[in-house]
Amino acid sequence: MELPILPTSIIGSYPKPRWLLRMYSLRELGRLPEEDFREAVRDASVAVLREHERAGIDIPWDGEMGRSEMTEYFTAKIAGFKFYGPVRVWGNAYFNKAAAVSKLEYREPLVLDEFRWVKENTTREIVKVPITGPYTIAEWSFNEYYSSKEELAFDLAKILNKEFKLLEKEGATFIQIDEPAMLNHPDEVPIAVEAINRAVKGVKVKFGLHVCYSNYYLLADYFEDIKVSQFALEAANRNFRDLDYLKKLIHQELGFGVVDVHNPRVESPEEVAKAIRKVMKYVEPERLYINPDCGLKLLDRRIAYQKLVNMVKGVEIVRRELAREGKTSIPFRREV
Amino acid sequence: MIVPALIGSLPRPVSLAKKIEQYSIGRLKEEDLEKAYLEHTRRAFIKLREAGIRVITDGLYRWDDIFNPFIRFIEGVEVNGLFKFYENNFFYRSPVVRGELSLRENPLPEWLNQALAIKEEVYPGATLKAVLPGPVTLAYHSLNEYYKSLDELSEAYAGVIEEAIKELPVELVELQEPALAAELSRATREKSDEVSKETAKTLIERLSKVKELWVVTYFGTPQVLPDNVILNIDLISGSVPEKYSGELGLGIVDARETKMERRDRLEDKLRPYFRRHSRIYVTPNTLLDFLPESVAWRKLKLLGKLGGE
Ligand SMILES: [Zn+2]
Repeated sequence: MELPILPTSIIGSYPKPRWLLRMYSLRELGRLPEEDFREAVRDASVAVLREHERAGIDIPWDGEMGRSEMTEYFTAKIAGFKFYGPVRVWGNAYFNKAAAVSKLEYREPLVLDEFRWVKENTTREIVKVPITGPYTIAEWSFNEYYSSKEELAFDLAKILNKEFKLLEKEGATFIQIDEPAMLNHPDEVPIAVEAINRAVKGVKVKFGLHVCYSNYYLLADYFEDIKVSQFALEAANRNFRDLDYLKKLIHQELGFGVVDVHNPRVESPEEVAKAIRKVMKYVEPERLYINPDCGLKLLDRRIAYQKLVNMVKGVEIVRRELAREGKTSIPFRREV
Repeated sequence: MIVPALIGSLPRPVSLAKKIEQYSIGRLKEEDLEKAYLEHTRRAFIKLREAGIRVITDGLYRWDDIFNPFIRFIEGVEVNGLFKFYENNFFYRSPVVRGELSLRENPLPEWLNQALAIKEEVYPGATLKAVLPGPVTLAYHSLNEYYKSLDELSEAYAGVIEEAIKELPVELVELQEPALAAELSRATREKSDEVSKETAKTLIERLSKVKELWVVTYFGTPQVLPDNVILNIDLISGSVPEKYSGELGLGIVDARETKMERRDRLEDKLRPYFRRHSRIYVTPNTLLDFLPESVAWRKLKLLGKLGGE
């Protein structure tokens, strides 16, 4: 399978259409039949998928229309978790932090339905399936049952491994593990690495790992140990400064973040191109994918779309330059 | 004697958060928001009474984190984006120090007067303390663009705090000082400068001459041991330093895990401290913000049961 050089993709979330948010509220109030809610999610999913494709994204997803939050969506489907109520994250923002109260067991597919729906509806050959990683779920849960966070994370890895095998059988080719919390405790990074490696074991799809807003120098020490073929990292938020940690990225690919998701200002195509030229001093274009820094869900939908459009335009500028050197495509690489 | 006490915040009830949100988008009048604060404070005080918590705070319902809104009342400070509060999935807005610090306004006395009035009505037996961030923790969590060193910055903050607490209608003031015990996480920020231990000790002892101080540390063992204060120590992730002999608050209930402690085990844990202390305050180990509301109250009830001779 071949891809255009500098394949473009997304990280995961995308702004939910306002009408869908209304459906979420109605559902919360018990005023919407589950069937209607599911239909709304599926319609929104197709709408966002089209939006990604229209922007020119090579490897799209549905913007996580069916997920209210990035851990609760999973913990609610895993047996052994219990919810005591919301916990504040900042200001008036809360999330339903789950507590592991008994041995965690795989009860039902986590993202299989989402994947099937996207696969059925996309015009693209490859889609990226984002899933929250084992360490982050462990870190963002209470632990009443396991004797250590390590044990908890490893059981979660086992559950994710089961899901990954299922996805592989259904035709998934690219899974991105999201581990925004994996660098929270520097001493526990080896646990996170081991949990990720257990989760991907024996699954022959392309795995990416997304980590954001953390100390990447800490991550760089483990690049070689993590059995994924790509790291999707943010850089726009840092103004593309301080990229030296990339010197340690010798084999795997980089999913380079060129769009700041915390700033409504839309980057120009030329800015995007300039950032890509800069990162090519560290990683050759054959090992580069281009994506936003992180999920786009906090932005206004129109702005999120425009950011994707300009991201693709910026990529096209660099692609034309690379074409002069005869570089136009890369193989879709699954091996680590 | 064991005295159950609250430190810092209670989890902000979702019903109150909704009101604050409505107010912020102009859909609720200020007086209705004020009413909501008072009503929730009343409910909290009744529950604290029922739980047997003897020394209380107002639950910091008006605070988003231990710095806000206090830093908004300080001249020379701007409020920046969100930063991770130590190694928790909890974020605070950081002060950016752009000029000389001074206290611009101080609504704390008014807020405390309101809380005192409610307390007199529903829980007159309790002691209410004020809560403020301490100078050392403020300095460590600031983006310092003005002062030459963190020592100087913490000194400037101490000056502001001194002004602020002078005017308070309570005798007991709690200073949130996790920075005396916890390292700023490497995961968040590389630490380049520090507040010297001598400065930290001197500043806190100076403030202890203005009001009686309850210095709350957590996420580690305190490295600074000020005299003439009640020092609160997190027994979950730290321990009482051998050489400390002053008044003691012990954070023995884990406010970062939902698992309930066993009362008999807690009592066993407390026993050794009575050899050196006739009175011990027992508290959660840190802010209760990290727990769902229902669990936080269950833990407070457990603490209350430890109270007595
Ligand atoms: Zn991210």
